[in-house]
Amino acid sequence: MLFENVDFSALELPAPALKLREEVREFLKAEVAAGSFTPHLGHTEFDAEFTRKVASRGWIGMTWPRRYGGQERSYLERFVVTEEMLAAAAPCAAHWFGDRQTGPSLLRYGSEQLKQKYLPAIARGECYFALGMSEPNAGSDLASVKTRAERVAGGWRVTGQKVWTSWAHKAHAFFVLCRTAPDSGDRHEGLSQLIVELDAPGITVRPIRFLNGRHHFNEVFLDNVFVPEDRVVGEIGQGWKQVTSELALERSGPERYMTTFPLLVELIRRLGKAPDARAQEAVGRLTARLWTLRRMSLAIALTLDPGPDGERGAARATVDLATEAALVKDMGTFFEREIVDAARLLAAVEPTPDATDTFERYLAETIVSAPIATIRGGTTQVLRTLIARRLLGPLK
Amino acid sequence: MNAPDDVRSMLVESATRLLNDQVDQKMLDAAKDDGWSARLWHALEEAELPRVGIPEEAGGAGGTLSDLAAVLRVAGRFAAPVPLAETAMLSGWMLASAGLPVPRGPLAAGPAGDEVVRTRRDGRRWLVSGTLARVPWARVAARLVLLAQADQGAVVVSVDPARCAIRPGRNLATEPRDGVLLDNVVAEAAAPATNVTRSALRLRGALARALLTAGALERTLELAVRYAQERVQFGRRIGQFQAIQQELARFAGEVAAAVAAALSAAGAMERGSDVTLAVASAKIRTAEAAREGALIAHQVHGAIGVTSEYLLHHSTLRLWAWREEYGNEAEWATTLGGIIQKRGADAFWPAITTT
Repeated sequence: MLFENVDFSALELPAPALKLREEVREFLKAEVAAGSFTPHLGHTEFDAEFTRKVASRGWIGMTWPRRYGGQERSYLERFVVTEEMLAAAAPCAAHWFGDRQTGPSLLRYGSEQLKQKYLPAIARGECYFALGMSEPNAGSDLASVKTRAERVAGGWRVTGQKVWTSWAHKAHAFFVLCRTAPDSGDRHEGLSQLIVELDAPGITVRPIRFLNGRHHFNEVFLDNVFVPEDRVVGEIGQGWKQVTSELALERSGPERYMTTFPLLVELIRRLGKAPDARAQEAVGRLTARLWTLRRMSLAIALTLDPGPDGERGAARATVDLATEAALVKDMGTFFEREIVDAARLLAAVEPTPDATDTFERYLAETIVSAPIATIRGGTTQVLRTLIARRLLGPLK
Repeated sequence: MNAPDDVRSMLVESATRLLNDQVDQKMLDAAKDDGWSARLWHALEEAELPRVGIPEEAGGAGGTLSDLAAVLRVAGRFAAPVPLAETAMLSGWMLASAGLPVPRGPLAAGPAGDEVVRTRRDGRRWLVSGTLARVPWARVAARLVLLAQADQGAVVVSVDPARCAIRPGRNLATEPRDGVLLDNVVAEAAAPATNVTRSALRLRGALARALLTAGALERTLELAVRYAQERVQFGRRIGQFQAIQQELARFAGEVAAAVAAALSAAGAMERGSDVTLAVASAKIRTAEAAREGALIAHQVHGAIGVTSEYLLHHSTLRLWAWREEYGNEAEWATTLGGIIQKRGADAFWPAITTT
């Protein structure tokens, strides 16, 4: 059964989260009023100055222990910050991966030294991470990574190629999933995670331009790059388990259904107070979808919250909501496109990338970025296969 | 806050056990002719389940609306051929809100649409008149609980269906949806309706159908998964084919969304926070899920699924009937969209985030 241990009817945000929401809204309102950023849809912008401001409010790494620069706040509070940032299309790229993925991984698997080195810097908004997962021949099939690390005196020598590495041209370091042992037949074995600084000798970063010419993707070449022993995350050979262990939160967060949300708000504005029944129905349907997705996402965040006694920052391992999380991503990314189509059909304007009207610009931005949401972080088809396997169990 | 509280877990467990023991294909087939199962009703009544969510002072078993919601989800899962939702969530609530005791036996409720029932005083009695179409379960009900209009204002009246002219009707799933003609029928009980309004009744009806739908979808998914595990074609279990897997995964998403929406809406109604947004969303989303889910369930089953011998149709017929009752997804979406537009763009995100 799905959502077995979740009590949806009782699911409510606690008072501190509601208070925090007001603080985040005030902050964003002031930033927008001051013209500190121009909201863009499609992909979040890299803005180190904005990231430092967010950090100064204590909203990066906010669930982490205080000793690593965190605030020891709940997942729900983090949920609130994330959804408010998305609703405002705030430029969060600089801290996105550190806050969401590498930080939690370090907390769970990193050595004390690595935690001390990186976590407080991420939380201060001064250290930016990228993710070195995909390779030319390892996309959805991540376990087929070929990048190799050879043991040498004092560490490892890494050689290979990573691809689709967002913001590698601006980040300080990236998590590299690589092979540290020859293929034993089980492709999930012999993989490890290393932190590689992006200014290390032997690293070359080349842009891969998105179809609209924008630069956030890169390919990263590693040519015999030396990585000190202490940059190994967790255990050698356990990389696969480490990479897949925290997927539930990543797959089910508001970023899986809210990246086109500001377009919906602008659509509502454009339609006016009393549009025709066709427009009302479309807006009503989208509202129902959003409301439901948010309830599902919220339920997962709340259920995985380790609670005050748990190890802050590491999701509760006892509850398995991986299937539900994959469902949120599948339906959420589909919903993001439904917004785009509804906006397109109801407004009937020719999309123009440099439009001065916000609605029209958002529409142009989201049409061209629409294909990517159902590809990154696990394609729809791979997710569905995973979901079905869990539903069906082993068949032979 | 997160784990279902113990009382509710026990309630769900005992409802599941009871329905699992009682409801089988034979009962569901028989209910197609009889309109319902009296035996199941008595078993449920013995377990006090039709009185969940009704205050004890009105003769109910106590418990919250969310407790009742959890029970209705289970009832939907088993396609229970009884007016559990109408008795506990609609009629019981109408009577208790008006300060009237809730009698034993199955109850029917109305009207939640445009129809008007009138009532007038005649000495100490209240006389009730009106014509109603498609009243759920009217012919098996012990009482019809109606929201009637009097010169003094709205009145909740309880009438004996034996005093009314009933024209039997049915929905797609052969559940009773009866025409009722009331011609100066003497009410068994009556009291001014304070919190009971037509729109509140419609919201509750929609919520009840959303909850039943969520449960029925869970059952259809269970059946489809089991079938895909067992059925062999082309020398393999059909669940081994990616084409089937993709459909089942999509189906699971619809079911998860329906469960999340329906139960969340019950919580919103219990707390009284933006009830229309929540219930409209739940009715829209569960009706959409019913559409997608029922079709995938049948597609996975192939031809066996469309026979009256196989269990699936008891659930899918209900899904197709319930999605129209108390407003289909287009009606609710138009209502909801109208409200959203009227409030304006800047009120949208705050409304979504009230819960």
